[in-house]
Amino acid sequence: MSEAGGDALSVIGLNVWYDEAKALFDVSLRATSGQVVACVGRNGAGKTTLLRTVAGFLKPRSGSIASAGVDLVGLPSYGVAQLGIKYVPQDKMVFSDLTVRENLELSSYATGDYDWEPVTTYFPKLKALMDHKAGHLSGGERQMLMIGRAILGRPGLLLVDEPTEGLAPGIVMHLKHVFRDLSKRATLVIVEQNLPMVCAIADTLYAMSDGRIVAEFAGRGSVRPEVCERYL
Amino acid sequence: MNAFRWWRGLVSAFGLLYLLRLLLPLPFANEVIIFSIYTIGCNFLLGHVGLISFGQPAYLAVGAYATASYLYYFGTNPYVGILMGVAGGLAASLFVGPFFVRLRGDYFALVNLALAVIVFYLTQNVLVAITHGDNGLLIVDRLSRTPVLDLSRPNQFFIFALLIAFAVWAFYKYLDDSIYGACCLAAKINENKLRFLGYDDRGIRLLAFVIANTTTALAGAMYAVYLGFVSPEITSPARAADPLVVTILGGVGTLYGPIVGAVVYTGMMDLASKFMSNWELIIGIVLVFVMLAGEKGIWGTLEPRLKRALLSPAAGSRPIKGASR
Amino acid sequence: MIDAHLLTSGIIFGLSLGSIFFLMTVGLSLCFGLMRIISLDQLLYYSLGAYVTYSISHATSYVWLGVLAGAVVGGLAAFAVERLLYRRIYERDITFSMITSFGMLIAGIGAIKYIWGLTPRPVSVPITAEVDILGTLVPIYRLVIIGAAFVVYAGIWLFLNRTMVGKAIRAGIENVEHVEGLGINVYRLFAVTFIIAGTLSALAGGLYAPLIMVDPQMGLDVLAFAFMVVIIGGLGSIKGTFVSAFLVGQVVSLGSLAYAPLAQMAPFAIMLVVLLVKPTGLYGSPLLKR
Repeated sequence: MSEAGGDALSVIGLNVWYDEAKALFDVSLRATSGQVVACVGRNGAGKTTLLRTVAGFLKPRSGSIASAGVDLVGLPSYGVAQLGIKYVPQDKMVFSDLTVRENLELSSYATGDYDWEPVTTYFPKLKALMDHKAGHLSGGERQMLMIGRAILGRPGLLLVDEPTEGLAPGIVMHLKHVFRDLSKRATLVIVEQNLPMVCAIADTLYAMSDGRIVAEFAGRGSVRPEVCERYL
Repeated sequence: MNAFRWWRGLVSAFGLLYLLRLLLPLPFANEVIIFSIYTIGCNFLLGHVGLISFGQPAYLAVGAYATASYLYYFGTNPYVGILMGVAGGLAASLFVGPFFVRLRGDYFALVNLALAVIVFYLTQNVLVAITHGDNGLLIVDRLSRTPVLDLSRPNQFFIFALLIAFAVWAFYKYLDDSIYGACCLAAKINENKLRFLGYDDRGIRLLAFVIANTTTALAGAMYAVYLGFVSPEITSPARAADPLVVTILGGVGTLYGPIVGAVVYTGMMDLASKFMSNWELIIGIVLVFVMLAGEKGIWGTLEPRLKRALLSPAAGSRPIKGASR
Repeated sequence: MIDAHLLTSGIIFGLSLGSIFFLMTVGLSLCFGLMRIISLDQLLYYSLGAYVTYSISHATSYVWLGVLAGAVVGGLAAFAVERLLYRRIYERDITFSMITSFGMLIAGIGAIKYIWGLTPRPVSVPITAEVDILGTLVPIYRLVIIGAAFVVYAGIWLFLNRTMVGKAIRAGIENVEHVEGLGINVYRLFAVTFIIAGTLSALAGGLYAPLIMVDPQMGLDVLAFAFMVVIIGGLGSIKGTFVSAFLVGQVVSLGSLAYAPLAQMAPFAIMLVVLLVKPTGLYGSPLLKR
């Protein structure tokens, strides 16, 4: 086993508050390099809070977050992103006033990676939409753009928040393949409600409820929809 | 029991204010009381309804000018004059309120500040025939002597101001505790949910707007009678943030914050103006520092401690959680 | 009937006034759009620009040099204020930025009184020539001001649409958190925006200085107009600010041909009407929430 400091993501004893309301209670989670870690749970279980805290948008009261031995607590969120840890939010809010090309350009500008090949390979559809305003894209296209934006700069860790929410089955299938392929190059932490999809790709699955991790299933064999269902 | 306790608090607060005049010069005490009344509306809007009112000087001026105009052109009874000022404030806030309460917070703040500047221009340049522009309205000689409390005399004015302030605070205390106060807080936190519960959030905000600004106009009317003179200075844009600053200095949303804030702010300004003639520099710097200092304000920080210190011996027979003995 | 000569000069006057309003408020609008702050201290940089123009033009007799120096000083002052103060309050509620910036404006006026005194100061007009437009003599300097506003508008448009920093600012106006999530240091964007805003405000003051008397209260005098312009146009919209600046300029200018004292009030009436129809101003996006 590699030492804990080398994990792609290691969260230990995380406590997060929204002003007076506590949102996460002693959450610990681990993702070794190259793994796909899924996080399931009902609405309000704290999954998004967890991802947003890792990404630096929320400051924890206590606990530690480390990636490849680097302490993330206290870093501004752009600093976290510059370490190659990209957060794909659930809101699918692309920069609607900018074109698809400009959306991608911004990510290239931030990361210095101007090679858009992976993006257009995964999402050939975006090629035809380059000069469209992102505000005119469909939900699925927006999600492609969001993921495309995030994978520029070859991030080592992707935090993906409910990627398939509200999308058509065809696109969900497509995203599943993309995630599976991405996991060859990056560690993925995916928050999902879609169990069949998540069980098909996850190596480890954490179930959350009321701000706590309530179950952990490690290993491909034990991550099965029927086992996880009761946590939704 | 509970009702008794807050009456006790209110009475002792104003007892303290009464004592204040033994310690401090009368003009200072008078100014503090009027300033507190001036601020409480703003405090209510910001703390309980979540509206940033940058336009209080406008309503202050409306109250002051309504009072002064009545006393200058029509009557001589200062009590009637003050009633006129309150009526003026009520009318003005009912006129602009329906426009303003529809606005989002940032627009609300800007529009109100714009209104304050507009009222300044109106009194200084446009309605010169009535307001006499920068010369102002001098009414000090026109106040008739009234029985019981003669408002033309500062010491009797002080008693009057204290009584009015007491009534105002009792009223706001009542508002805070009522279901309406709860609705206001709800409107501040989440207006959509309030709407889903079947409440008219705009109506709630409009009522708060009218109440707060009428109180402010009352303060303006009292200023007019107390000073015996009104000029556009009263709505000077440079002092537009005064009530907001006193609100934040005292403690947003706290009942006695405005009084504490007014004592400290007026004292600070008085002291500072003794050493420097450049009062803009002072106000400005004080403003910035108050903002950077913190969000709770003086009373907001002191109140919990005072309560603990004062109430725990009285409630000695009951074990209080967390109180070590 | 209004005299045609009066009308022509009134329109030109309104256009130049609108140009000043635009330069003065575009920073306010940009800062709101990106940082969600209400930066009333822009009006301080406006006064500062005018005073520096006065001092430099007095010392060197080059008014243009003064205008340039004023803009630079305005930008530097904005940079200092951003670093020292705004950094601490970005996270806070909009109330805080508004009152803090108001405090800076008031303190700045005090400082100006301390440095330059209370007496209004004159600045000579750099171009005194006049040009004949439709039979009416129009001062060329006013046309220069109008030209400057259009150049600035075009410049901002190019900056926002053709440069990466500008695109990042546009993206940030929509959703600053997502820009940060891409790994862009948004505080650097904030600083750039703030410096641009301060420079333009100071430029407005410098350009306007020869047409008015430079006095300590000049920032407060235009406060109401600045607000009305950004509110009518919609907070955060450059285009809205541009349109509404010229609208307010014309209303004040042409209105004063009819009845001068009320012309100052007319924009207020327009503002109320606009807000009644569209509470977020003409071009303001209801999505820009905080």
